[in-house]
Amino acid sequence: MNRATATGSIALTLASALTLTACGGSGGAGVAADAKQTLTVWAMGTEGEKLGDVAEEYEKTHSNLTVKVTPIGWDVAHQKLVAAAAAGKLPDVVQMGGSYLGEFADMGVLEPVDSKTIHETDYFPAAWQQGSYDGKTYGAPWYVDTRVLFYRTDLAKKAGIEKAPATMADLQSAAEAYQKKAGSKWGLSIQPGGLDTVQSFYQFLYSAGGAIIDDDGKAAVNSAAAVKALENYGSYFDKGLSEKSVRPGYDVTKDFNTGAVPMFFGGPWLTNLIDENYPDLKDKWAVAPVPADAASVSMAGGSSLAISADSDHKAAAKELVAYLTGEKGQTDWFERTNDLPANTAAWTSGDLADDPTMQVWRQQMDTARATPSQPKLTEITSKVDTAIESVTQGKSSAKEALDKAQSEIEGLVQ
Amino acid sequence: MSLTTGPAAPQAAAVDKSPHGGGKAGRKRRANRSLSKHNLTGWLFSTPFLVLFGVFMLFPIVATLLMSFTDFGARNVTRPLEAEFVGLDNYTRLFQDDKFLKALFNTGYFVVVGVPATIVLGLLAAILLNNGIHRARTLFRVGFYAPVVTTIVAVAVVWRFVLDPSDGLIASLASEVGLTAPDFLGSETWAMPSLIAMAVWRNLGTVMVLCIAGLQAIPTDVREAARLDGAGAWQELRGITIPLLRPTLLYATVITTIGYLNVFEEPFVMTQGGPSDSTLTVSLDMYREGFNFFHMGYASAMAYVLFVVIMGITVLQLRLLKDNTR
Repeated sequence: MNRATATGSIALTLASALTLTACGGSGGAGVAADAKQTLTVWAMGTEGEKLGDVAEEYEKTHSNLTVKVTPIGWDVAHQKLVAAAAAGKLPDVVQMGGSYLGEFADMGVLEPVDSKTIHETDYFPAAWQQGSYDGKTYGAPWYVDTRVLFYRTDLAKKAGIEKAPATMADLQSAAEAYQKKAGSKWGLSIQPGGLDTVQSFYQFLYSAGGAIIDDDGKAAVNSAAAVKALENYGSYFDKGLSEKSVRPGYDVTKDFNTGAVPMFFGGPWLTNLIDENYPDLKDKWAVAPVPADAASVSMAGGSSLAISADSDHKAAAKELVAYLTGEKGQTDWFERTNDLPANTAAWTSGDLADDPTMQVWRQQMDTARATPSQPKLTEITSKVDTAIESVTQGKSSAKEALDKAQSEIEGLVQ
Repeated sequence: MSLTTGPAAPQAAAVDKSPHGGGKAGRKRRANRSLSKHNLTGWLFSTPFLVLFGVFMLFPIVATLLMSFTDFGARNVTRPLEAEFVGLDNYTRLFQDDKFLKALFNTGYFVVVGVPATIVLGLLAAILLNNGIHRARTLFRVGFYAPVVTTIVAVAVVWRFVLDPSDGLIASLASEVGLTAPDFLGSETWAMPSLIAMAVWRNLGTVMVLCIAGLQAIPTDVREAARLDGAGAWQELRGITIPLLRPTLLYATVITTIGYLNVFEEPFVMTQGGPSDSTLTVSLDMYREGFNFFHMGYASAMAYVLFVVIMGITVLQLRLLKDNTR
């Protein structure tokens, strides 16, 4: 039954692909920006839900436009985009998650960014890099995302920890102190294995000066720095500071609230989540930059906005993208969603400039590192996931695991 | 597909052997005369099915077969004809792929433990509900069948609560009596048995319903005769119930086996194949290769390997469990 469904979907993709070649591109010179037209936009998750409001505002100042926003769930986004790309039915503007961009740019379905309206220097370097593939930029950075250390300040007092851990060594001794003196069940929550474990590992890897793919675009996951980082990561499991098995769909904020988990690395959306779900926890926790090893470097995520290569409304689409990624649009977007703006100019006023918590995010974002866009990025990171899991489960040494991953990744890098 | 030929075949054979009706030759002549007319109406009536079957089954089946001999990947989504023909490369690579072999083993484990457990427990439930329990019989029937019609996502949420190592039902019960329950879904040893237990619970209802129907078709005089001859309950079960229930059991075994060989939902929602691939099944591996990594050629080859395995096992079961008494 399931095999049939899978086969069906595989073949449907092929079928639509065949249809595309039969019909050919929709082509044409395209419609001028001020002509009457409808722009289609696809956005995922919360962004998809909130972008509709922005679109309504935008329509007021651009009376010739109808902006139709379709929200798509993250769980189905990738498949939907692939099917749409195959059928030549991508919307005019589409949100591209960092890990998707390389794949779709490689398919040739995205229009390169117009360098006249969108300037590299306006954005965080890591954000710009996520929109680029093979020397060209296809996505205008929209919002960014990184990880910082969330920790319980009330339990820290009990454990005798005076300030947030500044180095990786501090982090481990803090974890031990939380467990021994403050009675926390665990010291630090990091993912032991499974899908996207790598997101938890990036903080250790990048801070140690390692990378999965180096600046020359070569696989470098078994470098000395990476091995050291994974040994450090694995030591939390050996010493019983981190839980060795975590169920899929595990919600760390629940254990953070009870104090079972006093520290974890989390993204910007968790701030609101904790405030809303656990109001009693107010003033009992804080965020701090990722503890430094060679440096304090976190992972950069986020999304960019890309224009479909087949779009007939490129001129108007470019204006919309320029608005959304410009200073005004970015400030407005932050107020609506709390997504961190990718445009650094947006960080010069309001809460983004004054709030000390926001400064932690800002500081982390300045140095954050993005994995280079690669068409096979998901597959590459899945090899690293496997390597991490074999170390946390005590099945192999960090060196062995990463050597194996390196040899597999070498064949996947383009 | 092969299922329908199972029960239908003996019937057809019986018709052929029947002496009346003018014999084979006469029927053939008559059939020939009106063949085209009959056919036209027949074909017209089957058009809706044929169109749906052609578009959603036949075309995908053929396309998948073709794709399994190519290196169809993400790039080919927009340029499908550029996919290169790689011969049997995908198939040879499959059998050197540790992950696939592990998935094959896990699927085997799931089937070998899961199918007998489902059949035995389903039969047991059917017998108890048919004979033993008189009060609230319907309630029990509904209770056993409810998991079958419940969506897997809801089931998964509930089972995750039950199996949770810190505050789950089983863990709490175990701590009441001073034991520690294992971390069911987080341990490589326990993850698969937990999924099997869940699958058995979910599919037992189907087997039970089939068996109840089968049990009620067994004539009471046969049982009476056995009892008069002094057969005990166990002898009656072995000598009367099971042999006469054989076609039902065969059918139940075949569909359960096919379902279990295709197992996807349980590991997908409960463990995502983990920990350390200990619950990765062939269907889940195929899904990942196809939709996460977009190795459509490779995933198609997997689909065909699984198809051949299912075919082989089904044919074998139909042979082994065939009713030889008639």
